Amino acid sequence: MNKELEKLLFNPIRLKILSFLFTVESASFKKLMEVSGATKGNISIQIKKLEDAGCIKIKKKFEGNYPLTSCFITSKGRKSFELFFISLKSYETNKTEK
Amino acid sequence: MTNSDQIKIINDIINETRTKLKPLSFNLIFWGIFINIMSLIHYVFPAFIQQTYYSAGIYWIFLPMIGMIYMTRWNIKKYKEIGYSTTLGRAIKIIWGVFGFGWLMITLFSLYKGINPVPDILFLLGLVVVMTGMIIKFKPLTIGGMVIFVFIFKLNQNPDQNFLIVNMIGITLGLLIPGIMLSRMKTDE
Repeated sequence: MNKELEKLLFNPIRLKILSFLFTVESASFKKLMEVSGATKGNISIQIKKLEDAGCIKIKKKFEGNYPLTSCFITSKGRKSFELFFISLKSYETNKTEK
Repeated sequence: MTNSDQIKIINDIINETRTKLKPLSFNLIFWGIFINIMSLIHYVFPAFIQQTYYSAGIYWIFLPMIGMIYMTRWNIKKYKEIGYSTTLGRAIKIIWGVFGFGWLMITLFSLYKGINPVPDILFLLGLVVVMTGMIIKFKPLTIGGMVIFVFIFKLNQNPDQNFLIVNMIGITLGLLIPGIMLSRMKTDE
């Protein structure tokens, strides 16, 4: 398993965010807060880390005076997440077989 | 956090995320009622709607465009409320967007050529309704689309029938009733 990704997704909030973005096309900041159950500040930090790793893209725009943040998974993020999930599954299967 | 915990988190998130179908049902109901009212007004006051050569065309282009603008704004607002969009949702949006464009084009060309746009619009509508029904796996909608095809067949066999009445029945069976059934479904997904 990719050690960097393993480390990145060891955090449950980041794992929840990436899992959610894997199933949808885009999600708002508010929705990510709801899905992960984390605070605004925490989400900001976690999505920044995911963006720095190239797993997601953050798009910011303003509507009137309100900032709107949307997040999307990148193709790199999608591929990495698939590999991560396959590795997790195979590790679990091997453990059960033993 | 163990591997099992991670797998559980991933599975829970994936299983809980679904495309919301209630907004689609509102779209179907809105257009079902909107087009029926327009057809009814045209049927009851033909002299008023067809005052000039272009008035009926303008009526059938201008009002649906207002409807499209209203529904686009409503859909954007709904998306913000839901907070996420899915690939399935985008596919449905594209299909109906293409239908809206096709509708306007057919009406414009029909006006230009002096022919009735109802059979062509109904055909396009039937296609889009069947496609949507199959994509979301909702049988009443797929059947509704097929019913529209039956009406087009009937129209071709008896061209003397009143197109507005055929339009109203087709829209009611193809859009309105499946839309109401979709909105009454227990799950929103």
